[in-house]
Amino acid sequence: MNQAITAEELTYRYDNLLAVDHISFSVAEGEILGFLGPNGAGKTTTVKMLTGQIKPKEGRAYLLGMDITRNVEKVQGQLGICFEVTNLYEQMTAVENLRLFARLFGVHPFDAEALLERVGLAGRGKDRVETYSKGMKQRLMVARSILNRPKVLFLDEPTAGLDPTSSEAIRNIILEERERGATVFLTTHDMMEADKLSHRVAFMNQGKIVALDTPHNLKQKYGKRALKAKVLNTNGGLEDREVVMDSPETPRAVQELFSREKVVTIHSEEATLEDIFINITGRGLVE
Amino acid sequence: MNPRLIGSLVQKDLSIFFRNRFFAIITVLGIIAYLVVYFAMPGAVDDTLEIGIYSPVSIPAFAKLDEEGLEFVVVSSEEQLRQAVIDGEFIAGISLPPDTLTHLIAGKRPGVNVFFGADAPPEIKDAVVVVIQELGYAATGQTLDIDVSEEVLGLDLGGTPLPPRDRLRPLLAVMLIMVETMGLATLISAEIERRTINALLVTPATVADVFIAKGIAGISLAFGQAALFMAIVGGLSQQPLVVLTALLLGAILVIAAGFIIGAVAKDMLSVLAWSLPVIIILIIPSLAIAFPGSVTGWVEALPTHYLVDTVHRASNFGSGWGDVWQNLLILAGFDLALAWTGVAVLRRRMR
Repeated sequence: MNQAITAEELTYRYDNLLAVDHISFSVAEGEILGFLGPNGAGKTTTVKMLTGQIKPKEGRAYLLGMDITRNVEKVQGQLGICFEVTNLYEQMTAVENLRLFARLFGVHPFDAEALLERVGLAGRGKDRVETYSKGMKQRLMVARSILNRPKVLFLDEPTAGLDPTSSEAIRNIILEERERGATVFLTTHDMMEADKLSHRVAFMNQGKIVALDTPHNLKQKYGKRALKAKVLNTNGGLEDREVVMDSPETPRAVQELFSREKVVTIHSEEATLEDIFINITGRGLVE
Repeated sequence: MNPRLIGSLVQKDLSIFFRNRFFAIITVLGIIAYLVVYFAMPGAVDDTLEIGIYSPVSIPAFAKLDEEGLEFVVVSSEEQLRQAVIDGEFIAGISLPPDTLTHLIAGKRPGVNVFFGADAPPEIKDAVVVVIQELGYAATGQTLDIDVSEEVLGLDLGGTPLPPRDRLRPLLAVMLIMVETMGLATLISAEIERRTINALLVTPATVADVFIAKGIAGISLAFGQAALFMAIVGGLSQQPLVVLTALLLGAILVIAAGFIIGAVAKDMLSVLAWSLPVIIILIIPSLAIAFPGSVTGWVEALPTHYLVDTVHRASNFGSGWGDVWQNLLILAGFDLALAWTGVAVLRRRMR
């Protein structure tokens, strides 16, 4: 399978701060890569290098087989980027915003209304963006990022701070883009979102990629499955009990739990990506 | 450089500019206000012209001098007379030698020195000669020949005395141009602060496309308003190409200033804070034209001196390319230097 994104020893420093530290990875065409990490881990800086907004201090990035630093304009014409910070022309309407970028990308003919309908903004196209809620602006940002039918789509925290409806609408668009064949580079610190959408996830911490695999494999490798139970104590209150699964001792432990305790509730629990991130790095995704 | 992309960006900038109520209002009201000020000013020169007279000896005939539209003011020295003419206090000055009366009575031809201001019209010069002859007639009772020696003080523009509104015209045109410094600077600072520039620069549009588009939008606004104003007030009736060229170079100057201010300002308020001192300083040379004698020679250090001087001389006195080419060249030099600085500062800020 062809690689849509290849990073080789990418490095970036802001004066004395090493923001991205010699990271290497690749993303296959049509793949969704979840790029996870807490604030300040170097995710956005990585996106900026991959999209030609800044030049790496060391290393190389190849997008669609081309060195981004040498083919910035050619590559950027095939990218879609949804920025972390809302950067729309707020005095203009949604339709005007989209049409401006359609002209810049040379998209012709362009149906702004159809695109707005796709992101759930039908009927609001002629309103100025300054009248939009945060969720509506974010949907418009996503619409702008896909109007040129990009081969590689970069989404930097696309659902951060949004209501569940807006988040779900954006997740659906990401899946639609994947169906279309786009490669998606999804930067987020929402592990549920990454788990749900990504083929693979990369954990970034302090400028380095500390793990990169499918969510399933990561859970297998770093996580643990357990049975969580609530039992009645002698005072009539509830206490938690945990039995680790996938161990030779598990059957005996389960038997003892039921014979010695009065079990009120019991359920199995799988490790989350956040648990795994904490396990690997010793820190949480949201700080 | 891609003309299609630049066209789209210019259209976007103009659209955003006119959606900013502050700039939309000051742009439209600015033109209207300046037109009102222009047309409210007297359209003709004051009917009474003052002529200074210096005479070391008392001549009784002075008291009888009474020409319609002329007022005679006696001064105490020839030097004072010359300075008053240079300063525009008198349209002309007549200096009589000490032996004038003796010569007149003796029937000899006295010599009289007459000083004219730079913009004294020919009819005034003729009128002054007639006045001197009348002076001789009043003193002797007969027509006498008098040797009149004329001297034009200052740069001889050889034109007509300017009505106040025409003196004000370059000032108003330059103010219209200058105000656009704020408009462009606001567009630029907003583009950077709201990070919309980042969105533009990940499209096929390049930094050069964005700079050129901003420049075209700013020049269109500044030059367009000034040219429209000059056309309405008759400022293009003489040497229109020279006037328009000067206005265009002035607009480029303003755009360069707008680039610099836009790069350093954080928001609209800081744009205003940076722009106002710049605008006030750059407008000073216009005051020298509107109010002669109010400003000294140091204004030549300001680039706008070469703009207003060219507009003034071309639109009010019909000065052509041959007369103002040096002004235009210096102005173009300032444009290049400021534009280079503006682009460098802005590029650094965008990084």
